[in-house]
Amino acid sequence: MRLLLAFCAVLLAAGPALADDVVHLAIRDHKYDPPRIEVPAGVKFKLIVKNEDQTPEEFESFDLKREKVVPPGQEIPVFLGPLDAGEYKFFGDFHQDTAQGVMVAK
Amino acid sequence: MPTSRWIAAAALAALLAPVAARADYHIRSPNEIDEGELELEHNGAVSFDRSPANSNLQSYTAEIGYGVNSWWHPEIELDFDRAPGPGQPTNADAVVWENTFSLTDPGEYWADLGLYFEYGASAVGHASDSTLFGPLIEKDIGHTTETLNLLLGKNIGPNQENHGFDLSYAVQSRYNLWRSFSPAVEIYGDAGQIDRIGKFQDQQFLIGPVAVGGFLLGRLGQLKYETGYLFGATRASANGTVRWKLELEIPI
Repeated sequence: MRLLLAFCAVLLAAGPALADDVVHLAIRDHKYDPPRIEVPAGVKFKLIVKNEDQTPEEFESFDLKREKVVPPGQEIPVFLGPLDAGEYKFFGDFHQDTAQGVMVAK
Repeated sequence: MPTSRWIAAAALAALLAPVAARADYHIRSPNEIDEGELELEHNGAVSFDRSPANSNLQSYTAEIGYGVNSWWHPEIELDFDRAPGPGQPTNADAVVWENTFSLTDPGEYWADLGLYFEYGASAVGHASDSTLFGPLIEKDIGHTTETLNLLLGKNIGPNQENHGFDLSYAVQSRYNLWRSFSPAVEIYGDAGQIDRIGKFQDQQFLIGPVAVGGFLLGRLGQLKYETGYLFGATRASANGTVRWKLELEIPI
């Protein structure tokens, strides 16, 4: 049992410290606002995605390896990084034609 | 992290009695839970061996699942199997209730942690029911994603072939290349009963290359696939196994 608890503790260790700033992203009229968002490179950070629409959306990105539903009127945290400097595309899985965005890590 | 998901996972874990050595060539990710999405899934595997008596083992599943919330994804699965050897029939042999719990948010901790639990009700008169459970662990390292499943299984009820706990494991190391195609290497092993683990050559151990990818389908969601060839590395494993998976995720 001790071994199991120690194993879980190692897995759940916090890892790299979070950057102080929280990055905010909104979903409005099935579009991301802003569609191009700057984030810090080289650190772990928290992205808050708020869905202001009346329908659910899924924040999804192959580049960022994230896929998470945002219920209508709610917000979700997405833990990201540390990212290399560069551009990372994301989109809304439920409105793929309009909900498109790019994250720029600097 | 919400405590409700831990409580729910612990409650199900408390029901467990650990399994059966069921060949299940399928990696489970703790991050595969899509809230509000309907999932239709099919898995298949066919084994080949130099000995006709050990060749042509076939296994198929048809599944339907739903993301109830951000941390619980239950599925109902119908299993079809064909025993190895010539002239064997393919039969529906179990109905399985599968549950995947995500215990951490992706990227929140050093590794992502989930819990898997299933109960398989035998559809064959002379076979026992079974349970299977264990942790699902995933870690992104650079452009790769490493996934480990450690599962314990146990036969339950009457007609048990054995009364011990069976230890199986699965590993996938995937290089995230493109959405439509990412190469991976997978390992599937079954060490047998944990109180009488035998020589490595007597355990099942398969390893091989796998292709993983997906395609966006607009309002229909996404179609994901996995396919690969696993080489048997021990005398207890078939010489080769082809495995595949098709999954349609539909937002509703």
